[in-house]
Amino acid sequence: MIDLFRTLFAPPRHLILLVLALWLGLTLAEKRTDRHGISKDALNNLVYYSILGYIIGGRVLFALSNIPAFTKSPLSLFSVNVDLFDPLGALVAAGMVGGIYGYRQKLPLWGTLDALTPFFATLAVGLHLAHLAAGTAFGSPTSLPWGIDLWNAARHPSQIYELTASLVILGLLWFPKPKPQPGMLFLTFAALTAGARLFLEAFRGDSTLVFGGLRLAQVAAWVVLAAALIASESLRKRRQDG
Amino acid sequence: MQPVQRKIIHSFILLLGLAWIWVSADRSGASTAGQIPAPQQGFLAPDFELKTPTGETVQLSDLRGQAVLVNLWATWCPPCRAEMPAIEKVYNEYKDEGFVVLAVNMTYQDTPANIAPFTDEYGLTFPILLDETGGTARAYQLNSLPSSYFIDRNGIIREVVIGGPMAEALLRTRVEAILK
Repeated sequence: MIDLFRTLFAPPRHLILLVLALWLGLTLAEKRTDRHGISKDALNNLVYYSILGYIIGGRVLFALSNIPAFTKSPLSLFSVNVDLFDPLGALVAAGMVGGIYGYRQKLPLWGTLDALTPFFATLAVGLHLAHLAAGTAFGSPTSLPWGIDLWNAARHPSQIYELTASLVILGLLWFPKPKPQPGMLFLTFAALTAGARLFLEAFRGDSTLVFGGLRLAQVAAWVVLAAALIASESLRKRRQDG
Repeated sequence: MQPVQRKIIHSFILLLGLAWIWVSADRSGASTAGQIPAPQQGFLAPDFELKTPTGETVQLSDLRGQAVLVNLWATWCPPCRAEMPAIEKVYNEYKDEGFVVLAVNMTYQDTPANIAPFTDEYGLTFPILLDETGGTARAYQLNSLPSSYFIDRNGIIREVVIGGPMAEALLRTRVEAILK
């Protein structure tokens, strides 16, 4: 089953899964916009501008950090190669474009983030499916009976662990209280996602290691988890005070 | 739930997280790099020994110490054709720094008679290797053509590019990375 899935969506076809997740996530998010005081049009525009910012920003930032390579072949700037891309810079660019759009349209910050939460949660599912298809984000070797044969070793099915976690998170967030406090839906998503990553990163075989073996993604996830918990507490306090 | 109770639970979660980070640290170093041959970033490049059209034998592991681009291609594959001039150009720019291109033709699913006209048409000067049995395609778990593997001087795959054509800038950035 996994082999068939991996064959069907072998790179570069695994990107189809991300596009599908993008579409499904936006569709789900659209269904709940009314709850969060934001129109469907505003949500769609926000996502489309952010995607545009992601694509253009990722390419431009990659080019800026590799200027000599592009000076010799400037037309490469318009290449269809998805590898000519700075994913982290792209995320920052998408966030900035989304932020500017939201500010100019006077969208409520927490309400907008809440409205986008189903989109983010579905995108996470798509991302883990894409990882499973491509064999990336693979697990460490294991002798456990549920290990999968990947890259010439029996490994933790880390992609399936993370996929399961993201599906559970999506399910939990799709059935919230009728009208949660603004911001709580997004912060719950951030805390659950960071918590899942913090726990599951331990089974990954491709972790970036820092400070004598600590896994960088776990450290980052812990910081996000702490920030989400502190922010949720602050929102609750503000509500009680106000 | 009372705010104090919540704060205690949150603190406990964060402390548990810190403990888990400490317990699950990988103190042996990188958990994959170089240990097992596999066609994936961070792994030792699967070795192969193939013949050129003129009958010479080339083995990948003999090139340890040099930066290698293994490019799997076929004459009937349009993106393979499209990226060959860029590969040739970048090969000529960096070959004196220890950069080698091994263009492995998928001979088992290609027409051998088309190979020589193809290399002549594009003026390719790097070694063309013939995968007559499909052994290299299997070792590299080939799914799409072209597939390119950028291998550093220690024989570790640093980048995999599936599909094409690769742009010149992409080739330059990846080659410079594996030459370091």
